[in-house]
Amino acid sequence: MEITIKNLKDIKVVKLVGDVDASTAPSVQQQLVPLAELNSKILLDMTQVPYMSSAGLRMLLTLYRQTSAKDGKLVLVGLSEDLQDTMSVTGFLDFFTTGTTLEEGLAVLN
Amino acid sequence: METLIVPGTLDSLGAIGQYVTRATSAAGLDKKAAYKLRLAVDEIATNIITHGYQEAGLEGKLYLYAAIDESILTIFLEDTGIIYNPKQQILPQKEELQKVLDERSMGGLGIYLALGGVDEFHYERVGNRNRNIFVMHRIMV
Repeated sequence: MEITIKNLKDIKVVKLVGDVDASTAPSVQQQLVPLAELNSKILLDMTQVPYMSSAGLRMLLTLYRQTSAKDGKLVLVGLSEDLQDTMSVTGFLDFFTTGTTLEEGLAVLN
Repeated sequence: METLIVPGTLDSLGAIGQYVTRATSAAGLDKKAAYKLRLAVDEIATNIITHGYQEAGLEGKLYLYAAIDESILTIFLEDTGIIYNPKQQILPQKEELQKVLDERSMGGLGIYLALGGVDEFHYERVGNRNRNIFVMHRIMV
């Protein structure tokens, strides 16, 4: 799992590359949760995440709660059809702001 | 296919995923069915590793075996941890899955995804082993 974090003006752009399962989700969570500061804008680019298990849902839930608690915004982009299916059957998808591309996500946050 | 034997630790999930992917390719499953089977095996393996081994203070291995016949692909996943029957775990109900995320508990979500993603799921206790059986149909019926 590779995680890169870049700042584009006031937006924290996080790119994940690799599978998010129970072995990788804890380190992703550990690196992402501190990004949720007061009013922070976080864009999570998951274009290169081919696989995500419920461990990834748990990570997303924690990140969602942290950003909401700090009045921040979280946008997910590039979710594959498979990831969307997993988030949909578990009732997660509707609660997240999502976009297809990075540009779309940035537009939502700007 | 050859049996895959890996340590019962979370580091083995990658190898387990690769094994299931090889099996679904060999069986010619479509992309969606292949993904769901990988997810199902990964979720149950994760539960075995965390509940069946780690939380019980036990160490052991996971044994995977794929069998392909003309109509089905079957994956057998065995371990020597504590008795653990995924079918007896409490699954989230519809009301829970509709709750706003702030009120969610995450319990049972992995097993919910696993059991809901395969065509058939069976559990057996054989000697000192738990045997989880995942079945996917190769031909649409």
